[in-house]
Amino acid sequence: MPADTTTGASAAGVIHDLGYRGYDGPRLGRAQITRALAWHSFRSAFGFGRGAKAKILPVITFVAMCLPAVANAIAMAQGNQQLVGYSAYQPVLRDLVMMIFVAVQAPELVSRDLRSRVLPLYFARPIKTGDYPLAKYLGFTAACAVMIEVPLLLLYGGSVVSVHGGAAVWDQTKALLPGLLAGLMWAVVLAAISLFLASLTGRRAFATGAVAIFFLGTYTLAEILLQVENHAGPGPGPGPQKPGPGQSAAFLAPPVPMAEKISGLFSPFTLFDGVRMWLGGPRTTVAENVLYPGGFGAVYALVLIIALAACLAGLFARYRKARLS
Amino acid sequence: MSGIQLTNVSRWYGNVVAVNDITMSIGPGVTGLLGPNGAGKSTILHMIAGFLATSKGTLTVNGKPTWENPDVYRTLGLVPERDSVYAFLTGEQFVRATAKLHKLPDPDAATRRAIEMTEMADAAGRRIATYSKGMRQRIKVAAALVHDPEILLLDEPFNGMDPRQRLHMMDLLGKLGAEGRVILFSSHILEEVEKLSGTIQVMVAGRLAASGDFRAIRRLMTSRPHVFNVRSSDDRRLAAALVGRPYTTAVEFTGRGSLQVRTSDFGAFCAQIAILARENGIALRELLPTDESLESVFGYLVSTQPNQGS
Amino acid sequence: MTSPPRADAGDSAVIETAALSKVYPGGPGGVTALDGLTVHFAPGITGLIGANGAGKSTLIKILLGLLVPTKGMAKVFGRDCVKDGMSIRQIVGYMPEHDCLPGDVSATEFVTHMGRMSGLPATAARERAAESLRHVGLHEERYRQIGTYSTGMKQRVKLAQALVGDPRLLLLDEPTNGLDPAGRNAMLELIAKIGEEFGISIVVASHLLGEIERICDQLVAIEAGRLLRADTMDSFTKASQTLVVEVEDGLARLADELTRRGLKPRAYQRSLLVPIGGDDTYDAVRDSVADLGLPLSRLERRRHQVEELFRDDADGTGMTLEAADAG
Repeated sequence: MPADTTTGASAAGVIHDLGYRGYDGPRLGRAQITRALAWHSFRSAFGFGRGAKAKILPVITFVAMCLPAVANAIAMAQGNQQLVGYSAYQPVLRDLVMMIFVAVQAPELVSRDLRSRVLPLYFARPIKTGDYPLAKYLGFTAACAVMIEVPLLLLYGGSVVSVHGGAAVWDQTKALLPGLLAGLMWAVVLAAISLFLASLTGRRAFATGAVAIFFLGTYTLAEILLQVENHAGPGPGPGPQKPGPGQSAAFLAPPVPMAEKISGLFSPFTLFDGVRMWLGGPRTTVAENVLYPGGFGAVYALVLIIALAACLAGLFARYRKARLS
Repeated sequence: MSGIQLTNVSRWYGNVVAVNDITMSIGPGVTGLLGPNGAGKSTILHMIAGFLATSKGTLTVNGKPTWENPDVYRTLGLVPERDSVYAFLTGEQFVRATAKLHKLPDPDAATRRAIEMTEMADAAGRRIATYSKGMRQRIKVAAALVHDPEILLLDEPFNGMDPRQRLHMMDLLGKLGAEGRVILFSSHILEEVEKLSGTIQVMVAGRLAASGDFRAIRRLMTSRPHVFNVRSSDDRRLAAALVGRPYTTAVEFTGRGSLQVRTSDFGAFCAQIAILARENGIALRELLPTDESLESVFGYLVSTQPNQGS
Repeated sequence: MTSPPRADAGDSAVIETAALSKVYPGGPGGVTALDGLTVHFAPGITGLIGANGAGKSTLIKILLGLLVPTKGMAKVFGRDCVKDGMSIRQIVGYMPEHDCLPGDVSATEFVTHMGRMSGLPATAARERAAESLRHVGLHEERYRQIGTYSTGMKQRVKLAQALVGDPRLLLLDEPTNGLDPAGRNAMLELIAKIGEEFGISIVVASHLLGEIERICDQLVAIEAGRLLRADTMDSFTKASQTLVVEVEDGLARLADELTRRGLKPRAYQRSLLVPIGGDDTYDAVRDSVADLGLPLSRLERRRHQVEELFRDDADGTGMTLEAADAG
């Protein structure tokens, strides 16, 4: 059955061809498709593209993350000293809020697709299997980075307006950069762990539970081990250190016995803080029980890297398997 | 009184009326229960099997109601739609377990016979988890046949089967029906039903829209003109001749070398067409009623109901 | 006017396999999904039947370059499935059998996103998504969330996402799954339109022979991982040398009259089967019916049916059609 054809212009009128048209335009390659998917995932992490309800949690967590920066800005504007540091920020709040964020949002990125069985539609497209988890990971890392870094930038902005003199601004900037770096490191690790765990199930509730239980559980485990060690009594070591600039009231810790350092290996939170401190960050801690690891920090770093690699390998392996089903 | 009898049967769940005032009787042979999804076919089958009570009306099998009457399972077998087999059992174990549940005097012989009837002898030793969909259906039928029931109910038995499996199942059901059993199966895929049974019960939105042989049902739809495709040696002259007759409602040239004739009087058209052709010296090559298929009949019946939406 | 299938220089086969085999590990000897399958798919609409379960999905995955065969070769538009999987996926649209749509996005958003995943730039993706949805017949509904759609609408969305990347080949797996007769009709017409007007080759995997007979130009029948038969639909359904005659009553009298005129009618269900000797057979039938004044309700040359592939005897009469034709 012929489609209506374009007739020449007659005085009376023209009928246009509304039949099927092929596509002759440019076709983007794998890299660009992956980037588009990463951007799509980044938006999903904040609930864009899914209706108003999906944005509630991201907004709440983001606001919560920014509160310390805002509070600090107000305090400093009133002439007080800087309350919130760049590297540790508000550790308890940050770890807790980020844990909630990744526990709820990582399933949005990966569990949904598993549940709706949409993956074959992705894999039947001109990408390689690994591009899908890669895009998801990049998108989610970016989202976590935004969650962590934007408050730091707000903190910087809020502080800078209240200090006077180039030197003070320079001091602020010097303190910001390591903070941003640490934040980025944290985003990279958080995204990997939570995406991997969430990719194990298509049920979002289970995935959220798995992620939350993992972080809480490992933290509790580290805590318990630490308490056990504490009963064995503190050991000898060098004297107390001075606090650096831009830090809240530092926890001046006596040196730490090996057994207690090992307990810090069991939780990503403690690992992260340990590595941060080992790399020269200020000696503040989460809830006062991550202890300065000293040279042992190298082991922390190694374990963190291994954990990161393992989660990424697991994530990619998961989709290799999913493709075949 | 043999067979299944429903009289003014209704079944509702709160405000939803799944089955609405149905009266039908089903005797020996194969009967197809047709209808779109949600028409109430499963509900009817489950009521006949005694799993659901009627909300209103009477339902009897061989003269006795099935609700809360476990005795009925001696003479009745049900093959449900959902996968209700234990995948870790072998086919043979599953059938034998059913035989034992029925407390048959010789479960081994009954199992063997049922398996042979469904041509599952080769696969009976394997676990059901390794079966294809069609094989699972057949083993379910074997289990339903193990106690040699007089009545067999099947809910969407052809779902997902490939053509060869379907043909085998149709042959099996045909054979069982020819033995005098009462076979009632439900389906929403008409192609399956057309070849198998002459008798259909069509359900639409809980009501019984039509019963009987589908071609006979079509003939009863006198408000719809019948449509024939005719090929002849001279379509134009035949068309001219037909237009002159009172039973012809419309004639159309299909562009594929044939005529499409609409007639308001099926009987008159059939009686006259050969005579008309001969009178005009026209050879008839093909005469086909085009809308007598089960699909057309069904389509007509369903279209008089509120749109099911697609 | 139908658009010709867009062709690479010198490809006559859309899909081509040679001795294609796939054995999955597990169990004694493994599970054989494909066993030396050798077949050509020509351009147009091809039906794929008989390969239920493992064989069909295995074949599709291999063709899309997502699974490596154990042995043998497979090519799509001349590109090797193992080496050039990516380039194949660029020109093939796939519509899976199972539910695969997220419930909480609109059809427009989803198909646009899938367009981007096919490599279309953002604007093109939006435009082609709108066009695809129009072609499959989704109008205002496209702005609602997919979770609110009926099965028929969901199937259309699945088809639209396969079309959005302007494929040269569509792989449709049981496209009428779950649809009621009206919906099935609409989907089949849509597929026929795409195959005939859009110049896209289509492979329709289905276990419903009636559908296949209706819209496909050719047929590939697979059984136990091997090719059972591949041919044009015409050759599958070619006419036999037997005439089927049905009268509303008086069948026996008609049989007698035909015999009197030298024909050899055979009774079958409610009709008579009459071997065709020549053109005069038709006239003899017409005249017998006219003389006896019987109501003629069917006259046609008996056709082979796809179903016969799966039958041991053609019509349950214990005789194949060829044998019936012969004597």
